[in-house]
Amino acid sequence: MMSNETPILEVSNLSTGYGRFDVVRDVQLRVGTGEAVALLGPNGAGKTTVLNAIMGLVKVRKGQIFISGKNMAGLPAHRIARGHAAIAPEGRRLFLDQSVEDNLILGALHLRRDQDRVRKLLDSVYELFPVLRKYRDRQSTYLSGGEQQMVAIGRMLMADPEILLLDEPSVALSPVAVEIVVKALMELRRRGASLLLVEQRIDVAVRVCSRLYVMTHGEIVDEMTPEQVNQGGMSILNKYLG
Amino acid sequence: MQFILSGIAIGSIYGLIAMALAITFYVTRTINFAQGQLMMVTVMLTAMLSAAGTPVWLAMIIGLVSSCILGVLSYLIAIRPILQVNRFSFGWLVSTLGFAVILENGAALIWGPTSRSFPQMLISYRVPIGNAVLNGQQVLAIVVAIVLTIAFEVVRRRTFFGKLGMATAVDPDMAEAIGANTTVVAIVAFIVSALFAGIAGLLVGPTTFANPYLGSTFGTFGFIAMMIGGGTEKPVAAMFGGLILGVCAEGANALINSQASDWFPFLVLVIILIISPRGLFSSSSPLMRLRRPPAAKA
Ligand SMILES: Nc1ncnc2c1ncn2[C@@H]1O[C@H](COP(=O)(O)OP(=O)(O)OP(=O)(O)O)[C@@H](O)[C@H]1O
Ligand SMILES: [Mg+2]
Repeated sequence: MMSNETPILEVSNLSTGYGRFDVVRDVQLRVGTGEAVALLGPNGAGKTTVLNAIMGLVKVRKGQIFISGKNMAGLPAHRIARGHAAIAPEGRRLFLDQSVEDNLILGALHLRRDQDRVRKLLDSVYELFPVLRKYRDRQSTYLSGGEQQMVAIGRMLMADPEILLLDEPSVALSPVAVEIVVKALMELRRRGASLLLVEQRIDVAVRVCSRLYVMTHGEIVDEMTPEQVNQGGMSILNKYLG
Repeated sequence: MQFILSGIAIGSIYGLIAMALAITFYVTRTINFAQGQLMMVTVMLTAMLSAAGTPVWLAMIIGLVSSCILGVLSYLIAIRPILQVNRFSFGWLVSTLGFAVILENGAALIWGPTSRSFPQMLISYRVPIGNAVLNGQQVLAIVVAIVLTIAFEVVRRRTFFGKLGMATAVDPDMAEAIGANTTVVAIVAFIVSALFAGIAGLLVGPTTFANPYLGSTFGTFGFIAMMIGGGTEKPVAAMFGGLILGVCAEGANALINSQASDWFPFLVLVIILIISPRGLFSSSSPLMRLRRPPAAKA
């Protein structure tokens, strides 16, 4: 595959956790340039912890996290956020007392001296999610769950980072909203974005990604392609996911 | 009429200190119990420097800058290390009180425990309003409080930095994840907060004179004002708490007896916290519920 070029994201021997316990052990994963990779696993497997460690929100205890060849392990989140990675986190975590557009513009914090670029990014987010343009001045508390997820994805895109990190963007959404999110992720892939998608829904992961990692109990236990999933891998996956 | 106006004047001072407390609470969820002492430092330095012949304006600026520096130090020494170990720890209760004790005793050691004169500023002007009279300094306090409160709200809501402060207030981790250095945001909050406290000191100095124990009195009233208003939720509410407190205290002096302002405000605080535990202007207050249309039945 693309093993010769420097991948956008390379995580090696990552161990981390909370308190006395490591909830993530020896994780290896890579995302190539323009590749979309899924991280599947049951509740409590450690998926969010991996994503937050990449973003710098959880301290890395062991191992390295390379983004475009630069080791990010140990850097504070606000440094990693400067164009390296951006996250649409679990639970969306919008700044609920602020408007949709303010949430989006805050996402472009490190680009604020380049207002032209911020405008362009804002336009491309509104193009991806036209409904957000309509509600741009609305306080984000008053949005539906699907619309809030769109803001979270939009805010992540506003940073124009090397890698996009998405934590279960489909969770607790209506089928219509899931469809909008999936379409948007497919469009991002078409535009050449690199992304790491944490999911519990196999169907979403298979449609969006070209490679799937499976994680259980803090370790990566398997790796598959969508084709393998469709040719009988589904039953194995279902067993992992419980 | 007289007690309402002079209540609003002193309430503006309490309100500024209450806002100072609320601004740092807003961003860091901690209360800096050395806030009153920061105000005292501005007052003492301004008094000392102007007595030594420094122009008053320069003395005031040096006084304000010093309290800003001490405000940042109180954060870096007494608050940040504790939050870094555990964001939800209450250790800052003790450490900021300790910081206050050090500042207060340090000031008493340097300047002695007795009051010193403070520049007169506008206090000799008389401003008749209806059948009441305020002095120039009281009018200045009211005007400054109005201007600073409005300025604070405009900056918070309309500027990029204000929005970043709001983001940090609701979710510091997420603010970091969008690239905010939340330590810098907190430091700015402590500078703004020390400025509010220091300005309150300059406004009240000509009345109280310069005394190392000024900080405890005004710090306490500022804290009560913040709680009455609901400043833990939004800083402007603290200003309204200050105005209510000021009018209550002056009213108690005028209508009960001249010592009543020592205990009456505490009574008001207790009653208000029973009615509305998070303050009069908090979103959960019965007062605020009156204004809002009833929620639609789902
Ligand atoms: N802040 C925390 N403090 C302590 N333990 C935590 C914390 N966050 C997560 N954990 C624990 O770490 C383990 C992995 O959690 P994590 O959130 O990474 O799982 P996940 O795979 O994202 O699960 P889910 O699909 O339910 O979101 C769990 O056992 C969880 O209880
Ligand atoms: Mg998770």
